Amino acid sequence: MDEEDPSIFQPEDHRAAFIFTPAATAPTAGTATTPSRSAKRRRVAVAATGSSKKKRQQQRGATPLEDEQNHTTGGAGLEFPRLLGGKEGEGAARLREELFEGAWGALEGRIQDVLRKVNGNTLNEVSAFVKRAGEEAKDKIPAGFIITGPNLASQDLLFEQLAETLGKGSGGARVVRLRAAEAPNLKAALKKIIREAATGGEDTEEAEVSVGQDGRKYLNYDLEALHVSLKMQGSRQVVVAFQDSEAFDNGLLMDLIALFHSWHDRIQFSVFFGIATSVELFQARLLKSTARCLYGAQFDVVQAGSVLETVFKTAVAGNQSVLRIGPSLLRSLVDRQQDQVAGIQVFISSLKYAYMCHFYANPLSISLADETRLSRELLQPEYFEAVRTLPSFQSDVETAVEAGQLSRAKSLLQNDEELFTYIVEERRAQKAYLSQLLRSLHLLTATGLLSSTFTDLYISALDQGIDVSSETFPVVESIRKLGAKEIIILVEKLQEAIQTGSVELDLPGWADDAKDLMTALSEIHTTIDSLSEKAKTSRKPLKSKYTTHGKVLRTTVVAQKVQLSHDTATLTDQDKAFTAAIDRLTDLASEHIESEPLADIPLHETWVYDSKSPYRDVFIPRPGTTFERALGRPHDYLSCACCGAGAEGTVAATYPTTAILYRLYQEAGALINVADLWTSYYALVGDESEVGLEERTALVHFYRGLAEMKALGFVKQSKKKADHVAKVKWL
Amino acid sequence: MARRKAAAPDKKEPVAPSPKKRQLPVDPYEVPDDSHTPKRRRQTITTSVAPDDGDGDDREPTDDDPVQSAAETSPTKKRQARPAKDSAQVTTPSALRRKAVVATPVKLNGINGTGTPSRNIADRSARRKSARALIDRVVGGAISDDEGEEGDIAREIYDHDDTETVTDPPRDLPPHEQYFFQNKPGLTKTSANNLSSLEFLTHDEYFSLLRQLPDPHAKDVDFLQSLHAEFFPQWHFELTQGFSACLYGYGSKRLLLHHFATYLSSRPPSSSKIVIINGYVRTLSLRDILSTISTAVDPTHRIPVGPPVAMAQALLSSLTAPLTLLINSIDAPPLRKPGAQAILAQLAAHPRVRLVCSADTPDFAFLWDSALRSAFNFVFHDCTTFAPLTAELDVVDDVHELLGRKARRVGGKEGVAFVLRSLPENAKSLFRLLVSEVLVVADDVDGGAEGPAVEYRMVYNKAVEEFICSSEMAFRTLLKEFHDHQIITSHKDALGTELLSLPFRKDELEGILEDLMS
Repeated sequence: MDEEDPSIFQPEDHRAAFIFTPAATAPTAGTATTPSRSAKRRRVAVAATGSSKKKRQQQRGATPLEDEQNHTTGGAGLEFPRLLGGKEGEGAARLREELFEGAWGALEGRIQDVLRKVNGNTLNEVSAFVKRAGEEAKDKIPAGFIITGPNLASQDLLFEQLAETLGKGSGGARVVRLRAAEAPNLKAALKKIIREAATGGEDTEEAEVSVGQDGRKYLNYDLEALHVSLKMQGSRQVVVAFQDSEAFDNGLLMDLIALFHSWHDRIQFSVFFGIATSVELFQARLLKSTARCLYGAQFDVVQAGSVLETVFKTAVAGNQSVLRIGPSLLRSLVDRQQDQVAGIQVFISSLKYAYMCHFYANPLSISLADETRLSRELLQPEYFEAVRTLPSFQSDVETAVEAGQLSRAKSLLQNDEELFTYIVEERRAQKAYLSQLLRSLHLLTATGLLSSTFTDLYISALDQGIDVSSETFPVVESIRKLGAKEIIILVEKLQEAIQTGSVELDLPGWADDAKDLMTALSEIHTTIDSLSEKAKTSRKPLKSKYTTHGKVLRTTVVAQKVQLSHDTATLTDQDKAFTAAIDRLTDLASEHIESEPLADIPLHETWVYDSKSPYRDVFIPRPGTTFERALGRPHDYLSCACCGAGAEGTVAATYPTTAILYRLYQEAGALINVADLWTSYYALVGDESEVGLEERTALVHFYRGLAEMKALGFVKQSKKKADHVAKVKWL
Repeated sequence: MARRKAAAPDKKEPVAPSPKKRQLPVDPYEVPDDSHTPKRRRQTITTSVAPDDGDGDDREPTDDDPVQSAAETSPTKKRQARPAKDSAQVTTPSALRRKAVVATPVKLNGINGTGTPSRNIADRSARRKSARALIDRVVGGAISDDEGEEGDIAREIYDHDDTETVTDPPRDLPPHEQYFFQNKPGLTKTSANNLSSLEFLTHDEYFSLLRQLPDPHAKDVDFLQSLHAEFFPQWHFELTQGFSACLYGYGSKRLLLHHFATYLSSRPPSSSKIVIINGYVRTLSLRDILSTISTAVDPTHRIPVGPPVAMAQALLSSLTAPLTLLINSIDAPPLRKPGAQAILAQLAAHPRVRLVCSADTPDFAFLWDSALRSAFNFVFHDCTTFAPLTAELDVVDDVHELLGRKARRVGGKEGVAFVLRSLPENAKSLFRLLVSEVLVVADDVDGGAEGPAVEYRMVYNKAVEEFICSSEMAFRTLLKEFHDHQIITSHKDALGTELLSLPFRKDELEGILEDLMS
């Protein structure tokens, strides 16, 4: 038909690269997509009962909700589709889009700030070193060894910043960033160095480099050219940064260093090495004579873990982040950072994708808008229907029913206006919940009593809520074990935390809101102060009933018999007062450091994104499994009438050829006889089978299948035996 | 070495053919548990075989073993749970037990000859090494703590009998185990059938048949395609957010990308240029890509042709308008060359460049290290289309290459005749000489991987004798002509002797010779 011929014979398919012009091809494409649409819609409804198709769609799509979006009928410039089966108002869709842009835009800026600041210290040290080293060791090349850790991806930002910092000012150095891939040999490396150092990174006319002042021409890998050009620009310093030093060839590195050294009196070279392993290993690769040319210093970049923590505080936990990421998704994001050394960029991308999914595909995300912008008119009746399907809403209504508030429950279910007010109310509740959560977490970290990182605390707080006497947050236990001095320090820490808040979390101090707490804390402070004063004078250490071993075992000998008796160690009045103070403190802690699990908050679905599947599908693809499934069970994808009948593990003759060959392939050993493969294939599809292909036709199919198997990397040519192929893949 | 040779004749005895054929445990790496069968086994062995301590004689258990193992293990449950294939050959378990001594080990073999000689060999070699270590230790004297420990291990290995547990050919092994299982040295047994009776397809036949082929799944494929097409708005959104999209899964995604290009061009900003790159085109070079892009960016100002890295940089600095790159088969061989992916990543990382690519193989993820991956900033979508890879593959040539019959390209007999017609007379004579020599060799031997081959030197001498050429120089020139037309191949054998061979089957060679003689 129309489809087939172009797929075989379109001339464009055999052109290597070309500019796409829609006009030429629009008719074909148009016929291919539009008419099939309505047909396919119907078929989805049919196939949904078979569930395989539906399942697939859900797996692939951003969220199940995405099924509903198809018709981007919105006006020009509207990116977001109208959800709720296309019934969402245009204004609402636009609002979602704006919300997304606002929310993520602000957050992204902050993340970049944080990332830049993280490297700040290292950069200052490095630039100080560059200045100093020139004077300290005149005949050596200053060499900075920057221990970046194994993550290649995060090095880019660091070196970019390095180039910025060092290149600043009029007398700034020329910075050349070299990657092993760009500098396969000495000539290429020199060319790149000269080009970038001479032009200062801006791609101006290349000719300038090769022609000197007096009209002399230089080869483009002659450092003389660089020397002349630098002289003209009045700068002498050139910094060469080897971003992935491990990947460079030993010989190349040594040649370059030797060359730099011999030019050192004319061009002031400094070198930097990004090192993923250790300086010792790096040094072991160099000749001693080369190493002697270097005057080195080592710089450690902030470890990935702490970068993650900082970004996490800002971007995920911080007050600024509009959308909350749910505990299970967060857990898998953080785990991936640790398990796969994925780099902070990946974390940020994943975060962004979560934002995108939420605002793009969830019509309820609109309720994250400001109250001023979220007007009643924007919301369609379908919106309220959608809200009523939320599990948290339903359980909230059920609680209302159980509590006997029947009319309230009824009105929530029936009256959209009522529901709207409810939604607005819940938004305030949400804010209160979040600020309580953050304050609690801030206090928790301020105490320093818990060993887990903030990230872990945050995730478990969302997941289980905060309860200071629980095992996850054993604050009460730890407070009881403290001595008087430590308690005083703890109280001071808490007071300070309340007063200053946290910059990273964007949490202002809330001393005004917590006057009770502050006075209570200072009371405890004074009590313990005076108690420890007294203890000092009486020379009896202060102890509480928790620190002393509450019971003392006494042995008394009465009438030649040993009598054992437990006795409560006597607590002095001071001790008792101290105990009371501790109790007071733990009570305060459990009163003020608490939070509910996220899932208990009504309507949390509107402001929490916690779906793992699109994240996983989109960032951690599993092509092996996908191929295995496509070839092993083509029916899953094709959902055709012909192939589904067979039981699990059998192969039908109607399968696509490659799928049949794949099945035969799985049964074969490491070496496959193509003659036998052909025989079994032909036995399956040949004259006597249900498909009844003629031999030459079957051979065409067989050829195609075999070529595809080869292209997919399943088989390769084998020289062991004639007409045999070797198996290369074990899925 | 000598010892092994001594052991070899024993193996050939009909009574105990089996060291080669013993079955392997479910887990090939299973360390035999001493508390169970091995202990019993050891007792039986000591009755039949002299104790194997001390003298480093390490081959004695192997020969007796199959007998032991069969007798030992047959009554266990495991044996009976053998698949139908085996029990079809062996009538009943009880019968098996009785005649186990002679027959069973052979029959226990799986499809591929699933015995464990490798394990046997490995065990034997380990024991031999251990014995050597023990002797060294005694001779060498001083033992440090470390060595003491090593020595213990050595003794353990040495003392450890050749314990065999016999099981079925494993099913449902994890892939890596299957790999090791199927790659046991010397065990790949395939039939001697070959494709000589099959007449291979020519390009003409292939395409003329292909054109008539109805595709029973065409509708389903279209439907699948249209399902993917529903995600165009989503992909577009992802692109606008700075992600690159990578579509993977089985089937050609060429048409899908083409539709997507059409969709994109209908969306604002309409000034955005779309460049389509077909990675599977074998002649594709990075320079092509970059110069096409530069024409798209600004038709009037073309960037100077130079090394790709420099071109890419020049291109990026001149980029003012948004640009969309659609790459078909980013994992195709032309784009697997070093540097290609780095440059594409560099392009993709530019904020004005949006990149969508499709990947056809399951292994595409290996193309990128973490730095490239974060430069691309990929989101991946499963786009299994089941559409046949038509333009992507050169089916006929690929298959022939896979089967080691490359010369199909010149069209076999007719092609050779055609080539020779345009060559001078002495070239024809030389080729005739070559064919007849090769045929002589082919009669003698069955041919190695490259088919029957003749020595270069020998052919040269004969050519000189027959006055086909007078100098080696002239001889080389003639051969080069053949090489250019791919009607001969040359390679060197293990000794470095240069060999010439003809990439044709014997019957074809005979046909060619007939033509040349007439």
